[in-house]
Amino acid sequence: MKRKFFLKNHSELPLKEDKSTFFLEISVGVSVFLFSIALAAYFLISLMICSWNKSIVHGLSVQIMPSQEVLTPEEELLYTGKVIQFFEGLENVEKVRLIKDAQIKKLMSPWLGQNVDISSLPLPKLLEVRLKSGKNFDYEKTARLLKETAPYASIDNHGIWLQKLVKSASSLKMMSIFILLVVLVAAAVSIMFAVQTSLKIHQNIIEILHIMGATDDYVAKQYGKRVFVVSFFSSIIGSLFALLSLLVVAKISSNLDAGLISSAKLALPHWLFLMSLPLWTGFFAMATALVSVKRSLGKMM
Amino acid sequence: MDTNKNMLTEPIVDMQNVCIRYGEDPEILSNIKLSLDKGSFHFLTGKSGAGKTSLLSMMYLALMPSRGTVSVFGSNIGYASRHTMAMLRRKIGVVFQDFRLLEHLSAYDNVAVPLRIRGMGENEIKKRVKELLSWVELDKSMDKICSTLSGGEKQRVAIARAVINRPEILLADEPTGNVDNDIASKLMKLFVELNKLGTTVVIATHSKDLIAEYNYPQIHLENKTLKIIPALRRVS
Ligand SMILES: Nc1ncnc2c1ncn2[C@@H]1O[C@H](COP(=O)(O)OP(=O)(O)OP(=O)(O)O)[C@@H](O)[C@H]1O
Ligand SMILES: [Mg+2]
Repeated sequence: MKRKFFLKNHSELPLKEDKSTFFLEISVGVSVFLFSIALAAYFLISLMICSWNKSIVHGLSVQIMPSQEVLTPEEELLYTGKVIQFFEGLENVEKVRLIKDAQIKKLMSPWLGQNVDISSLPLPKLLEVRLKSGKNFDYEKTARLLKETAPYASIDNHGIWLQKLVKSASSLKMMSIFILLVVLVAAAVSIMFAVQTSLKIHQNIIEILHIMGATDDYVAKQYGKRVFVVSFFSSIIGSLFALLSLLVVAKISSNLDAGLISSAKLALPHWLFLMSLPLWTGFFAMATALVSVKRSLGKMM
Repeated sequence: MDTNKNMLTEPIVDMQNVCIRYGEDPEILSNIKLSLDKGSFHFLTGKSGAGKTSLLSMMYLALMPSRGTVSVFGSNIGYASRHTMAMLRRKIGVVFQDFRLLEHLSAYDNVAVPLRIRGMGENEIKKRVKELLSWVELDKSMDKICSTLSGGEKQRVAIARAVINRPEILLADEPTGNVDNDIASKLMKLFVELNKLGTTVVIATHSKDLIAEYNYPQIHLENKTLKIIPALRRVS
């Protein structure tokens, strides 16, 4: 009974005794640990950017402060026109609308009462600028240019601040992608290295198998299976450590609730994907091993 | 019609102007011409170092000629793809001079290798392997790891592995060098039987007794060249 079971999964290559297996286990385990952490970081940063982008409205408001030097109404009109022209000249702007004094009056009325002549008061002029897309709009640059054109006009600074945050988060996101790639490449290289070492050790057996009529696939399959099993189990270990660390970090950061920053939380799908990494790792390692083995076998007898 | 005739008479192994050399060493064999007909039986003779093993390894497609063309089963091996080569090799049984068993596996598993490579089911494999191993008187050592077997036992495992799949060509390099006379003649009988069933056989040997007793034609290697010494009398 026992013998039958073992025969089912026969393999002529004694890969279980390979010394390179230990190397493979360590490198795959560590890679999966690092990959999980970097991936969690990527998820978190993406979530934060997404929520910030949502709060950058697809428009902005501009106010033109009443100046210290008294401008005549004509001068003031000219000045406002200049600002409107400035915004209309921008690429991403869909529409610029001057909010009528009447409307400002209406807005102000609760504070000022009905019978106030607005034009006699130093009220700001308000412009509403509708953007084609809030994402691609460079708040900072626009603010700078606006200051050069019309020093009394200013953009509300909420958008500027958020966009700065999004920008720095985006570079963090790029970095996490870079780290993911580096870990992936490093893992692939170490799998290839382990497989190549093993191929050298078993060259004689492989040659015998070839003479008996074994195809490259037949030999490669034995490597594929073995590498899958080794990678799968060592990545479970690496993944467990990573998930534990992430839980600890999540716990600490929920204690230090810092408002906007900690508003991003990994959702169930993220956790599920992180937990499924050992399986993907197994397939990735197997594919890498198969490609690497087949390439080398192609050069053998 | 012409192709039909060709197919019937086409040699199973054909070598034209073949030279063998290892790296930059001088040639071991020069301008060899050899055609083996299907169902033929030859001894391969020559002094030690004459190139018997080298010639055989070309026939089992492990060595490429440095010049000339080699065709096996009608396929020019210079142009065959890796997959074709694998399929051709499956029709060839080889007994190596140094056995080349998979030392970490049992006798049973060694003999099973050619069948597993072909994807045969384990039940069928079990039946065939057990039968053959008991025929070569190894039923007691079936589960022993090969590295623990004696020289003669290893030789029998090697022969069992070579014939388990009823190959169309059997190439045996000194197959009876390590066994006593009784077993040697039993193994020779096996080769003769296989030959009667249609297998083309080439046996490299130093044994004058064997050559005298069985009296098949010889492929004789000497001074880098090959000559066929015909059988002295008909095999009865
Ligand atoms: N892999 C190799 N690399 C270099 N030279 C080799 C190699 N294999 C064989 N030779 C050389 O080729 C020559 C023929 O060797 P081969 O093994 O074919 O002889 P043989 O007739 O089988 O000898 P024996 O009867 O001792 O088995 C020898 O001089 C040997 O040194
Ligand atoms: Mg030899």
